Amino acid sequence: MKNDFIPSAPLTINWAVTNRCNFRCKHCYSRVDVAEELDFEVLCTVIKKMSAAKVFSVNFGGGEPLLKKDIPGLTKFAVDLGLAVSMNSNGFLITKDMALRLKQAGFGKVGISIDSPKHEVHDRFRGVKGSHGRALAALGYLKEAGIVTSISSVICKINIDDIDGLIEMARSAGVSNINFHNFKCSGLGFANKDVLDLSPEEWHDFYTRAIALKETVEDLQISLEDPIIALFGHKNGPSLVKGSVCGKLSLNIKSNGDITPCGFIPIVIGNICRDDLLEIWNNSPVLNMMRNKVPKGKCLSCESYTECLGGCTARTLALTGDMNNPDPHCWKK
Amino acid sequence: MKIFRNPDAMWREEDRFREQAYSGLDKGEDVSDTGTSIVLYSGKMFSFNLLGTEIWKLCDGKSVEDIVSELRESFEVEEEALRKDVNAFLESLKKEGLIYEK
Repeated sequence: MKNDFIPSAPLTINWAVTNRCNFRCKHCYSRVDVAEELDFEVLCTVIKKMSAAKVFSVNFGGGEPLLKKDIPGLTKFAVDLGLAVSMNSNGFLITKDMALRLKQAGFGKVGISIDSPKHEVHDRFRGVKGSHGRALAALGYLKEAGIVTSISSVICKINIDDIDGLIEMARSAGVSNINFHNFKCSGLGFANKDVLDLSPEEWHDFYTRAIALKETVEDLQISLEDPIIALFGHKNGPSLVKGSVCGKLSLNIKSNGDITPCGFIPIVIGNICRDDLLEIWNNSPVLNMMRNKVPKGKCLSCESYTECLGGCTARTLALTGDMNNPDPHCWKK
Repeated sequence: MKIFRNPDAMWREEDRFREQAYSGLDKGEDVSDTGTSIVLYSGKMFSFNLLGTEIWKLCDGKSVEDIVSELRESFEVEEEALRKDVNAFLESLKKEGLIYEK
């Protein structure tokens, strides 16, 4: 199924600037990844390439991006070239002073990972005692500094019964947005999938509840980035593409400069230091396959396929070995 | 009253699609569904066709009349019909917070 509209360059680039981390998360996809990192001058060259390709925004991740030296300096460099910069952090290193530095550097948005309203549940999942309190404090400092904040929660067994609690926590923290991320079976997420991932029926029930909340909660934006919500006839927001956005609107860069379609698909399609970004974007055979998926199995006769395009490509590839297979989270019989 | 783009909206023209649209126009095709620009604002994504993109680009402090007048130099359209299209498009931009008047 062909997507009608593939922009001439990625809109967003997710960039794991480091795979080092001060946490020990049970679902981590990057701790087992490459250790090599680019130095500041090379990072700036990469930013220039993104700007020249008219990429809108870059989102730093990792690992914990604040373990990378001079993220504020790199951010300022990117903002001066017209890029919007955001970051996903665990919040542990964000003090009042760091929040001000991030604001001065030009960060528009910072997302903090919090997976449960219960501090003991979050701390156990993230592997660091006190991390819940530090994450909430970080949100306060960022807000005070004038940075738009969001909470990212990975939905899995540990929090599936506490969705209302997560929303209440987000409201009281004053964030603009809570992102409910679907559980990805990459890295340790794959190793721990049997104890953390939900069944298709549980995903159905979660999304039924989450969509109802999204439509009724007015003072908080709830984001559900999973393409299988198209099975409800629901879209997360106006988007120009159907199915997964990875490789259609966004790309991922690893700490050593390798380019992958998304952070959860370990197929290297080039290297940002060595290759031409637009050449990869326009001609990568892997991206071409992702943009032109061919339905298989139950997708062949499913009336929702034209909207969901087989669901999350990363998850399907990780669990079945073939991106064209039906999404393993799909509850349709 | 002058019209300005919201500076928080990120946007770019899509060169490949713009070329496609102009080539289609030359052949007399209907290109109204061909997006030639992308605009991102407040978590929403918009794609404007050729006329929409040209209107959007002119929202840099011009009045509606200035915009209509400039567009008439590029598009062979009857003035009243063009004015109606421009006003309707600007209204939709205003509703999404993409432009403001001063």
